[in-house]
Amino acid sequence: MAERARKKLELLEGINMGNTESPSPLVDFRQVSVTYQGGNNDAVVEALKDVDLVVEEGTFTSLIGPSGCGKSTLLRVLADLITPTDGSVNIAGQQPRVARLARQIGFVFQEPALLDWRSVLENIALPLELQGVGRGQRDEEARRLISLVGLDGFEAAWPSQLSGGMRQRAAIARALSTSPRVMLMDEPFGALDQITRDRMNLELVRIFEATGVTVLFVTHSIREAVLLSDKVVVMSPRPGRIVREIEVDLPRPRTLSVRDSASFDELVRLGTRELELGYDGQ
Amino acid sequence: MTVSSPATIAEESFATRMKAIGSSAGPPLAAAAIMVTLWEGSCHLFDIPTYIVPAPSRIYAAIVSNPGSLLYNGGVTFFEAVTGFVIGSLLGAMLGTAFAYSRMLARGLLPYVIAANTIPVVAIAPIIILWFGHGIQSKIAVTAFLSFFPLALNMMKGLQSYDRVVMNVFHVSAANSWQRFFKMRLPSALPYVFVGLKLNVTFSVIGAIIAEFVQADKGLGFVIMTTYRTLNMPRLWAAMLLSALIGILFFALIAWIEKRAIPWHSSMREDL
Repeated sequence: MAERARKKLELLEGINMGNTESPSPLVDFRQVSVTYQGGNNDAVVEALKDVDLVVEEGTFTSLIGPSGCGKSTLLRVLADLITPTDGSVNIAGQQPRVARLARQIGFVFQEPALLDWRSVLENIALPLELQGVGRGQRDEEARRLISLVGLDGFEAAWPSQLSGGMRQRAAIARALSTSPRVMLMDEPFGALDQITRDRMNLELVRIFEATGVTVLFVTHSIREAVLLSDKVVVMSPRPGRIVREIEVDLPRPRTLSVRDSASFDELVRLGTRELELGYDGQ
Repeated sequence: MTVSSPATIAEESFATRMKAIGSSAGPPLAAAAIMVTLWEGSCHLFDIPTYIVPAPSRIYAAIVSNPGSLLYNGGVTFFEAVTGFVIGSLLGAMLGTAFAYSRMLARGLLPYVIAANTIPVVAIAPIIILWFGHGIQSKIAVTAFLSFFPLALNMMKGLQSYDRVVMNVFHVSAANSWQRFFKMRLPSALPYVFVGLKLNVTFSVIGAIIAEFVQADKGLGFVIMTTYRTLNMPRLWAAMLLSALIGILFFALIAWIEKRAIPWHSSMREDL
């Protein structure tokens, strides 16, 4: 958050605040490959091949591409759910495993994956509870996050009493509870209807702009990617690789009306073309 | 699905519960009154011999003539059933946990556990009684034997039934093995555990009475065998009804605990 604010200040005042070198990136993939056995006829699948990706702190990056392009694998490598076969991955200069154990990673999956036997408050406080934070402190933090994601009044509700969108809000709050350096989101709104999805996109823009957390966001929708992101990374399958990085220079704070602008359409067209090229190149 | 605030949910569930008690207790009670009346009437009308079917009034007389003895023997059987239930369920849960955590152990031993589970309790009860002696402990052992398998199998299944994505959440949150067990896998297993416990309620009362059939000097099984030899049928029927009552009370107790242990589970929801 402080980093974001500082950057903004630098831009506004046109002053370089003593930092002449560009800061080292928060996430750094170098020549990362992930292969596993288990395709058709037990063939070797190249889920990721020689991927280089740099994500600056405080930015919103979307990963987009067809099924099998390795975009989810990329997030899973970062979260230490998959170990890369080759190459190096760093989060704030640390291995994914170290970053995970230091609780610097938040993950929002496609399913909310809430614990049915815990209230909304207890679900959101879970990562802090696992960290050993005392009840008073973790409940206070969970209440703050409940307000942030707009679930006020549902602290004591059970997950089964919430709508799909509300459950995903709770999952986002839970991922933010340990104040992670990076939040990984794997198609979090894929199961929601279009109207709820639009609203959740706006909420996510608001949460991102309020917290300044670095986000890596996997989606199938180029429009969603352009709406949310500072950078859209287009990927292609077999082997999974990055084919193009598109900088999105639309102004912030973003609203849905951004989608009416000509530059939005231009970026969506560009992204769509890259996606199609990725298909043809197979 | 609509969303209501937690406060109204609590109020609604109290009102519906009171209504549910009123509407659920009425019909069975009325049916019982009609059946007992028909039963009593038929016994007199068709002059049915007492050793075939004793009239409810005769059974009632057998109960009130010596209520202390029935209560004592019922208490013995209840104690055997509950103690065997607790021991068998605990040991079963421990083996089920070991199976859930060790694929090798489960692969090696599971076939034999399933095979042992198919042994009829009447066949193994005499052997267990020889091992554990003539006292109450051998009845508890037979009951524990019966209660062992349902919990072992359900515990294993329950501990394996956790949500894989939830496991990933625990992984990313850097949870240790104990936290994964107590905060995720065990709560996920509870609905299965209660399936096993409810099976064991019935099994443990059966186990205690069968063990008493084989050898006993007290308990409802003992009462049933002795009254059968003397054809004291009203008293035998009284013992039978008491054994059913024990089973019902025991079941109600487990259901009461279940409702408090897993109120979040879909099987506990009244609005479905």
